[in-house]
Order: sequence, then C-alpha cells, then structure tokens
Amino acid sequence: MKRTEIIEKLREILRAADDRNQDAVSACTEQSRLVADLGFSSVSMLYMVIAIEEEFGIRFENVGAADFQTLGDVVDYIEAKLR
Amino acid sequence: MVTQTKELFRKYTDEAEFAKIVDYDTVAEMWAHCVKAYADDTAVVDNGTAYSFARLEDDAAGFRTLLKQPETGTRVAIFAANSYDFVKAYLAVVTSGCTAVIFPAHLDETAVFGCCMMFGVKKLVYQPDFEEKLSLVKARRPDIELLPADACSDEKTPMADCDGKTPCAVVFTGGTTGKSKGALLSNAAVMQGTVNGCYGYEKVFGQRYLLILPLSHVFGLIRNLMTSLYTGSALFICRNNKDMFRDIAGFKPTILVMVPALAEMALTLSKKFGRNMLGDDLKTIICGAAPVSPFLITEYDKLGVKLLAGYGLTESANLVSGNPESLAKPESVGLPFPNQELRIENGELWLKGRNMMDGYVGVEEAGAYEDGWFKTGDLVRIDEDGYLYITGRTKEIIVLQSGENVSPAEVETAFNALPFVQDSQVFESENEFGAQILALEVVLRPTELTNLAPEERSAYALKELEAVNKKLPTFQQVSKITIRDSDFQRSPAMKIVRYKHEKNGNH
Repeated sequence: MKRTEIIEKLREILRAADDRNQDAVSACTEQSRLVADLGFSSVSMLYMVIAIEEEFGIRFENVGAADFQTLGDVVDYIEAKLR
Repeated sequence: MVTQTKELFRKYTDEAEFAKIVDYDTVAEMWAHCVKAYADDTAVVDNGTAYSFARLEDDAAGFRTLLKQPETGTRVAIFAANSYDFVKAYLAVVTSGCTAVIFPAHLDETAVFGCCMMFGVKKLVYQPDFEEKLSLVKARRPDIELLPADACSDEKTPMADCDGKTPCAVVFTGGTTGKSKGALLSNAAVMQGTVNGCYGYEKVFGQRYLLILPLSHVFGLIRNLMTSLYTGSALFICRNNKDMFRDIAGFKPTILVMVPALAEMALTLSKKFGRNMLGDDLKTIICGAAPVSPFLITEYDKLGVKLLAGYGLTESANLVSGNPESLAKPESVGLPFPNQELRIENGELWLKGRNMMDGYVGVEEAGAYEDGWFKTGDLVRIDEDGYLYITGRTKEIIVLQSGENVSPAEVETAFNALPFVQDSQVFESENEFGAQILALEVVLRPTELTNLAPEERSAYALKELEAVNKKLPTFQQVSKITIRDSDFQRSPAMKIVRYKHEKNGNH
C-alpha cells in the first residue's frame, strides 16, 4: 500500500471521530502534529490506534503516545507493519 | 438544604436485589461477607487467569502476613498498574487496618520519593518492573519497607479489627493549587461510595465488569473495583486499553464504567465498523468524571444500553449523585445518594456526609471547608424533582474530554522552572477548528535573556518551552504556546487574573 493511500485511510478514520475537526483532518499532511495541529487527546490517540488495527489488520506493539509526534510517524509505523 | 434516603432509588432496582444493598462500616466487614457469600464465584480475571473470591482472600491473607500486623492507620503506598496483584495488595492493606496510599502508575522517580515524604508512607508495595523508580526512596529513606506486589506468604494472617473512622485510603486529586493532593477517605466513606454505586439500575449483583479506568482514580477504585467486589461480580482487568474491544468480545461485560470520551469513541467505532463494539450482553454504562452529552444517552438507548450519568469527586469517595432517569432528564447528573447533606451557597454546591473525606493529606487547603461543609467548587442547581445539574465551576481545574483533570498551576510549575519565565498561565482554549486544547501564555524575564539579541529571544524561549512541554505527561501537554509582550491582568493582590472558559459542566 502506498503512503498516499495510507494517509487517505487515516483521514477517513479521523473524519469519523470528530465532526468539529473535519477541516483540520482534510487539510492534514504527514507533517501535521497530532496534539498541536489536530487537537489529539489521550482518548483520540487510543481511538486512532484501535481503528488502525481494525482497518489495516495489524497489531500495535507496546507503543506510547510519545512515539508518534506527527501523522508521518504513524504512517511510518503502519508501513513497517504492513511490510 | 437537601438530605437524601435510599428509598428514592428503590423503584429502579429489582426488589430482591435492592434488599441486598446494605451498609457496612468497614471494607473488612464487607469483604468478609463477600468471601462467605460468593466464595467460588469469580472475583477477578487478569492475564488469562480467573481468581475466585476465596482465592483472592487466601492470597490477600498471605500478603497480610508480609505487612507484619502494623499499627492501625499505618500508611502503605501501592505503586502498581491495574492488575490482580494491585487488587490483592489493596485488600490486604485495608483489611489489615492500614491506609492504602494509591500512587498513580505514571509517577516518576522524583515524584515517588516526594509522595512518600508528603504522605508519611511507612511501607511501599510496588510492581516489580517499577523498581527502577524506587532508587531515590531506597537511597534516602531506607527505613521505608519495600514489598513487591507479587510476593505472598504461605502463612495466612486474618483481617484486623477496625471501625468506620479508620482511614482507609489516600486517593490523589487534581487539586486546585500547586501539586496534586491526597484526599483521606475513611472506611465508612469508602463503603458509602461503594454502596452508592448500587443505586439507580435494575440488575446490580452478579454482574460482569471490565476495568478500564486506572485504580489510582477514585472512579476506578471505588465505582469500578469496590462496587464490583461488593456485588459479587466478576471484574475483568483490561491490561492495555487498546485491547479493550478484544477483551470485551471475549469477556462480554454487562456493566461498563467509563468516561464519556471513551463511550463516545466506542460509539464512533461501532458506527464505522458496522457492529456493536461493546458486545451484546452490555446493559448499563456508568458514565462520569466529565460532562456527559445527552446525545450519548439517546444513541446508547437505541442499542438497548442504559447510559447513566453521575457526578462525583475524589473528596466524596466518588459518587455524589447518579441519574436513574437519564432519558427523561438527560442533562442532569441525577439524584443525590443517601447519607449526605447538600447545601447550595451562592450557586456553589457544599457537601457533608458519610462519604466525605477527612481532609487533605500533606497540604493545607485553606478555603476547602466552611462551617464544616466541603465546598465543591461546582456551580449547581436542583430542579423541582430533586435532580442536580452542574452549571459551571468556581475552581481552576480543567476537565478534559478524556476525564483527565489538569491543574493549570501544576503544569505552570513545570514551565516556571525555566529561569527566563517570569509568569505563565495555562488555560483551556479551542483550536481553529473548535477542538478543546490546552494553551500556554508566557511573560518573559528579559534579565535572563540578555545574552541574546531581542529579536532572537522569542524563538529561543519557544524552543525551550516546547522541550519542557514534550517531557510532560501527554494529557498535560499544551497545544499552543504564546509569548506575551505585556504582563497578565492582575488582581489587587497582584495575583494573575485567570482566563475564564465557558463550559456546560464538569467533574
């Protein structure tokens, strides 16, 4: 799966999560910071991890919120897992 | 002034089950009853193993031996993540007549040492893989006895006698000023909080609970763990929240205790993936620690799940009120529970009662009480049927949608440690898309930045502030940092006038 496809799937996941955040999600890029730009809380981080596991059929190891600063970090992780 | 009785809740619970809701003075008294009544039933499921009530008492009795029959009220810290060993150690400590000081699992080495000092800890029970966080305690306080939580003795020690006034637990609260404080809860307060969890819904006993909340939070410790044990229910310990839905699919809980953000997340995931992620056996969700949206109540009702909102504080051993009529009055936090008195003074809720703490430990909080009433800091109103509504807050705590409490002063302390920060203010704000964020504004101390050209100072300060920010626990991290070019507005006493953020409700 290409990085652009992974990002588009991530956008879909995030769009479903928060109605108020639609514009930020549509405009997000690999450089978008999860907390500062997308307003992530510990619960949205958890939501993202669970939804990614369902959507991509992968299992996250014991990674913490601090391991993902930007959306690009998340894409890196998914890419490595899918390899 | 309002006083309540349990009779208000009778009609919501199965008759035979309501008759079983009785008060105990101490956790030991309750636990002795549970061990007898539910001996072979499952009490806890953790890491693939089911532990019966009898087995849990057997292990707790072995652990009591390791505590060596200390004096009543001896403070024993428990520093462990949610696990069977936590439950065993906690029960052993409190049924020995000791006071369990519950350390949040995220504390670092310095905080563990600081809390041992502040709370007068004599013994410390720790999860073995947290041992590296004990080095300061070991070096500076060799008199504090350290006990690994997975230890046990073949020799069994019976429960100790104590009464309702015996201090049972010190539970951390977000606090309104400075660092977190500990609320001292007596056995009677913990038991009242435990029993309060039984009111307002039909099937109470013999349920299946899932533990998602941390046991260092009063909502996790009392409403989730204690009420589960009291009602002879089985408690499945979810070790990692990301596995929550897999655990739910396997264990099929009938009751969940959650913060609204988690309930909302489960709803979103259920819609996105086209199946009920919370399982078909779920009948009740107890929701609190942050404002509950009426939308959640109606959406869960469509799935056949009653979502009951409640209101509570660490200082009140969790629940003050719970809403048995969540569909009819979705904006209310419900009817106040028995054995407490409520008074509304200038819109603020004041409380007295059996469930109330015996004060804070380690710090003096001037202004927490007046005329013997605890001032909650929550602005409320009560309707003609006696239902309580939260309308605002007078205190400075920020409640995030995840239910986590952020004390602005505590976060500011981290930034104020930078020598070039003269003053700072952390406050609740919204980003450009309307999402709730924490923001920081800083006034610089120019004398500490004289080695930099004026135009370089802001960039340097921002970089340093960001570095401090990244080291904070995720829920305390600010999303926006602004360097002010003027001082904050100040009160006549020269205190910073805090920004106000409009909110619908709070913890």
